[in-house]
Amino acid sequence: MSEKLRSSTGITGGLFGSETPTFLTTKVDFVVNWARRNSLWPMPFGTACCAIEMMASAASNQDLARFGMERMAFSPRQADVLICAGRVPYKLAPVLRRIWDQMPQPKWCVSMGACASSGGVFDVYSMVQGIDTIIPVDVYVPGCPPRPEGLIYGLMMIQEKIRGESLARHAEHRFEDPDQAGHPQADEKEVRALSGPFGNSTRQDRTSGLITEVGCRPSDQVIP
Amino acid sequence: MSKRTVEYEVSRTPELGMDFRPREGLMSPAELPEPDFGSDNMLINIGPQHPATHGVLRLVLELDGETVVRCIPHIGYLHSSFEKLGEYRDWNQIVTLTDRIDYLAPLIYNCAYVMAVEKMMGVQVTERCKVVRVICMELDRIFSHLLWLGTWAIDVGAFTPFLYAFQERERVYHLHDAFTGARITTSATRVGGMMADIPEGWDQGVREFANTLPDTLDEIEALLTTNGIHLGRSQGVGVISGGEAINSGLSGPNLRASGVPYDLRKDKPYYDYETYDFEVPVGEHGDCYDRYMVRIEEMRQSCLLLLQALDRLPDGPINVNDPRVVLPRKTDCMNDMESMIHHFKLVMDGLKTPPGESYFAVEGSKGELGMYVVSDGGSKPVRWRIRPPSFINLSVISKLVEGGLLADVVIVNASLDIVLGEIDR
Amino acid sequence: MSQTGKSNAADLSVEVHPSVQALHDWFGVAIIRDEIVAGDEHVVYVDASRITEVLGWLKEVPEHLYDYLSDITAVDYGGGRPIQVVYQLFSISHRRSLRVKAELPLSALEIDSAVPLWASANWLEREVYDMFGISFKGHPDLRRILMPENYAEGYPLRKDFPLRGRFTRAEQTQRALSQEPEDYYIPADFECGRKPQLVQWQETGGEPEPDGDPSDH
Repeated sequence: MSEKLRSSTGITGGLFGSETPTFLTTKVDFVVNWARRNSLWPMPFGTACCAIEMMASAASNQDLARFGMERMAFSPRQADVLICAGRVPYKLAPVLRRIWDQMPQPKWCVSMGACASSGGVFDVYSMVQGIDTIIPVDVYVPGCPPRPEGLIYGLMMIQEKIRGESLARHAEHRFEDPDQAGHPQADEKEVRALSGPFGNSTRQDRTSGLITEVGCRPSDQVIP
Repeated sequence: MSKRTVEYEVSRTPELGMDFRPREGLMSPAELPEPDFGSDNMLINIGPQHPATHGVLRLVLELDGETVVRCIPHIGYLHSSFEKLGEYRDWNQIVTLTDRIDYLAPLIYNCAYVMAVEKMMGVQVTERCKVVRVICMELDRIFSHLLWLGTWAIDVGAFTPFLYAFQERERVYHLHDAFTGARITTSATRVGGMMADIPEGWDQGVREFANTLPDTLDEIEALLTTNGIHLGRSQGVGVISGGEAINSGLSGPNLRASGVPYDLRKDKPYYDYETYDFEVPVGEHGDCYDRYMVRIEEMRQSCLLLLQALDRLPDGPINVNDPRVVLPRKTDCMNDMESMIHHFKLVMDGLKTPPGESYFAVEGSKGELGMYVVSDGGSKPVRWRIRPPSFINLSVISKLVEGGLLADVVIVNASLDIVLGEIDR
Repeated sequence: MSQTGKSNAADLSVEVHPSVQALHDWFGVAIIRDEIVAGDEHVVYVDASRITEVLGWLKEVPEHLYDYLSDITAVDYGGGRPIQVVYQLFSISHRRSLRVKAELPLSALEIDSAVPLWASANWLEREVYDMFGISFKGHPDLRRILMPENYAEGYPLRKDFPLRGRFTRAEQTQRALSQEPEDYYIPADFECGRKPQLVQWQETGGEPEPDGDPSDH
């Protein structure tokens, strides 16, 4: 490559160039990513109402099979994308983490619905305030529940993400620390940042008026 | 109440005669000597993430080969503390929570909750509202049973009925969407009425649905009801007698399949159910097959109920004309100071109920759905208790599967028609 | 048409409930009081120490025959008031319902279990224990049902329990994920005498035996 082209564009490699990406690696990337994104096997971690919409998106009307997601892989060992559909209480959190750990790379995660993304309407003692405190999430699909079209849009975003991946950056894409298996994704500071109540729920700590209020409720303020 | 039994001739393996006893001279597999491997019982864990548990249910099974020696169910993997959350929400805000408890039949929960609150307050809803709520409840009964049917078929091993059932469910989703704006989380009712009156053409949609659903049910039944695999897997499996079912608190189709004709629509009727002409299917053997037949027939009866309700849908207002309960019309608020003040107080303070309590039970799709609300005169409940039919239905699962085979665990679990959102609340 | 949504099913008039009168006659002092709520629902307050007698009588006597237990729950009014345990009964043959309540002071949250009478009481009482901390004497298996077995923050539905729990979210997350796989099983799960997922040779270390008799497990 000419010196001028190299310095102006920053592209250093040629066909077999020493620095990546090169022409060949991009072609290989293209094929690999095409194969991966069009044959994603979802692992449906469905708990509540969103699971029903996930089932509806797999049924005939909005068909997930046309995206290659024909086979819902219930064994995490054979799954590519974990769709966490529904609310996740703390009792279920270790199960979710374990299933995520059991999935082999390459793997992605879709957090479907408000409850999986942030706790949803359930800012309560038993509910995980967003599964991104537990596992790394790639796409968040808002809605309560999101329509099947919404879930499909989220899955298409995963496909877009895969399209932009490269084998050359394999290490950074597929980075996973084996010592972290079984531990939450977010550390204490992050959990505090991600789980603090916001919006209306900060003001909805009043209880019923007359008899019960008097001196029997602790201040239901947030412990952040 | 009529009893209906369906008897089918089943031809099974040639060694067994029509009465399932082995023919002379041939030994049935049960009589062959069992080889003793000298092994321990095995402990396996089904769930909480498992396709066949219909939610996040965990069953710990002790197995002797394929036979289940002991079954210990563990629940709580979806505990969202609705009851605690309800103590911090206004009476009308709780309606949005009720959708998410049983997400398979949200309108039934919406209706049951506000019916309990209205009973506690002594509020009488309008005639039109009563009929619309009956339509909503019967529509969602069918909605829930269709999902049960689809997943039941998958558990038996058939995939096609799932797609047929979900195609019908899409039509109900469209009806939900047209009425409330949401497919599943409908939040259609309010204390004193509904969120809105039914849109134009909605009753035509329901009528069309009720007229065409029986044909789809015929198609699905053609695949399942006389199918040898289905019969073999579900007849005689998971049997519970009527007396035991009553003592265990079973309700709904599970109880009726055991021969007990207890249906809240007939025994403690509400909303003029005693004036509708419908039958309650009651089974005989108390096995999984009877539960299947009872639910199929219930769907057909619900179609009849829908048509009758549509025929008698009266005109008139949908909400009670009490400004302390129901928001006044917006045009009135803009023109009339009193309406404006009522609107303001209802929105800011919330609906105030007189002190009291009420336990109101409706016949939900899963069984007796009771709502127990206690008020101390404020705008939020002191206690909101949901009597969850699936919770109590599930508690008998140990009794039903112990002694059976591992494959029967899946079938029995499916036949109980549980929804974990309701069990764990 | 009477009250909202409820026409009288059996011959139940609003003022007189046959079971209530009969309870007063038979048990006398054990029945503290009775009231009518929501227009036509009858509630009877019973002395907690005699609850088994009363419930058993209601279940067995043919004129009442409350063979169906709809619900057991509890209500905490807060402010140090006693917690009410509420039994919702229904008689299938007579088509009558009745609510029986027993009040328990916060210092003595114990009551006899109804499991010998109705099998449905098993899980219902476990849930009341889990949510309120009320012990049911004679319950075959009283442990938490909805919360994890080792839940340490208290009893959630009590009025002195905050909505978001007593620990911080970080602490709750850490506790949830710091369990060992063995923690997922309760002692009853283990009673079959064999550790899950492990075979004998793994437990004692060493190699699997090639052939012959299995070693004593």
